[in-house]
Amino acid sequence: MSIAPKALRSLLPVLVILALIALVPLASPSNRFLSLAISAGINVIALYGLSVLFGQTGILSMGHAALVGVGAYASAILARDFGVGFWLALPVAAIASAVFAMIVGIPSLRVGGHHFVIMTFAFGQLVAIVLTNGGDYTGAATGLDLTDHVTLFDADMTDLTRYYLMVVAFVTAAAVASWAIIHSSYGRTLRAIRENEKLAASLGINVGRHKIGAFVVSGVFAGISGVLLAYFLGHISPSQFSSFPSIYLALMVMIGGARLIEGPLAGGILVAFLPEVLNLDPVQSRIVYGVCLIAVIMLLPDGLIGGIVRALRGLFAGKPKPETERETAPSEARQ
Amino acid sequence: MRPILAISGLSKQFGGVTALAGVDLTVEEGEILGVVGPNGSGKTTLFNVVTGVHKPSGGTVLFRGRDITGLAPHAISRTGIGYTFQQAMAFAGLGVLENVQIAGEHARATGGASPWPTPQALLDFVGLSALAGEKAGVLPFGSLRLLGLALALATRPSLLLLDEPAAGLNDRETSALVGLVRQLPGHGITVCVIDHDMKLMQMLCRRLAVLDFGSKIADGPTEAVLADPKVLDVYLGGEL
Repeated sequence: MSIAPKALRSLLPVLVILALIALVPLASPSNRFLSLAISAGINVIALYGLSVLFGQTGILSMGHAALVGVGAYASAILARDFGVGFWLALPVAAIASAVFAMIVGIPSLRVGGHHFVIMTFAFGQLVAIVLTNGGDYTGAATGLDLTDHVTLFDADMTDLTRYYLMVVAFVTAAAVASWAIIHSSYGRTLRAIRENEKLAASLGINVGRHKIGAFVVSGVFAGISGVLLAYFLGHISPSQFSSFPSIYLALMVMIGGARLIEGPLAGGILVAFLPEVLNLDPVQSRIVYGVCLIAVIMLLPDGLIGGIVRALRGLFAGKPKPETERETAPSEARQ
Repeated sequence: MRPILAISGLSKQFGGVTALAGVDLTVEEGEILGVVGPNGSGKTTLFNVVTGVHKPSGGTVLFRGRDITGLAPHAISRTGIGYTFQQAMAFAGLGVLENVQIAGEHARATGGASPWPTPQALLDFVGLSALAGEKAGVLPFGSLRLLGLALALATRPSLLLLDEPAAGLNDRETSALVGLVRQLPGHGITVCVIDHDMKLMQMLCRRLAVLDFGSKIADGPTEAVLADPKVLDVYLGGEL
């Protein structure tokens, strides 16, 4: 896999932004701010996986929080029953979520488009129901406690600022991984499937296997996100991984823009901080999200970041360029 | 000499409709074979069954002696059969060069050196190198058809199936396409083309097979087939 210098340049803005974000603790922010930022960061990790699935492959999962939940519960159960700590739980939970993604993906991805969305939605609900009825093993509706500390080189990472920095490091790793996928031949293959499955198959691409593969890859991101969440909150319960959190994840990736590397970061931060900035209660914020989602889908099909990039290009070029997604229309019209 | 593709007794039913009623057809190595027939005669169904888009109801397809009946489309592509669609020609949202790159990345591992070792060389061959940086979706229709041909060639096929390759092209574009397709046997690529454009077929093919209501009614040298009263009757309405 060779990566062109031009592709490397596209990574730079994200790295600069993340470096700035890592400097935030210097401004001695409030604990509340740091907690919100950590939650946002944990979501962003899952969003980078979702961007591979949705942005590159064109498959939308409406049950993605369930895969995060698999990772979170795996780490809590590993700690309780086997005394397994954070660092070993990470790969194990990532694999668990990936395997779950495969189990869901194999039957679900045989059906296309909207049917798959409904299947993932049902799967998300199913996981929440199983967790609620899992008795003592899953802690039923109350959930599980996870009070172990995360240590790194003998340093206790449970301190809020340290955990914040660790999450920023994980977000960076997720962004780089997602970027590497986008610019690899694997990413090209996924985009081909997104554009036209029939044509992709005619060129020797095993469409079904690659779609399941993309879902599994997104599961790895979700699992890691789940471990970070469980260790951060110290307590997890089924409702955190049911349909609403899944819809939020899908909403974040759409608002930010799934195809650009900055998109998941922008979506995650925006959705986490918008109610805070506008001082909205949860009901009001749901209404605002709904309106935002409709606006983004109608006005900015590439998401907020895609829209900003286009606006800037238009500004420098003198007049707005036609948006990329609509450019497909003329050829289709002629068919 | 053993044919490169041997179709025998191939049939396909859609519900109660018989689209193919036991077709026998062979494609000889190095030729350009034309398959003609009126709309609904089963030409596209024949292609779709051979390439795995549809599973056949009966019959066998042998490619270089190997039974490929009912394999998945991607598996058939990897045996060395390339094909173009009437409609889905290219990945509209992706760049022209990226389109050809993708097409070459999943080609069969064996099959010798390609006459076009790089995506760029392939774009040169079809005359699209000037448009390499564009998005496929903005290409004019004629260029899109050529890009579709380039994608199929990028899979390094030894047999290329073309489904109405000249549909929607003007005369200049059609003759450019004919010029390209005629070169393919020289590069070791056998061609089978379906179309109902008789002028195109006369330019391209020395042998024609004629389908009508899912059955083959004629097969032979182009001139002989076009003089066959049966063909004139069902296909050309009695006159050419």
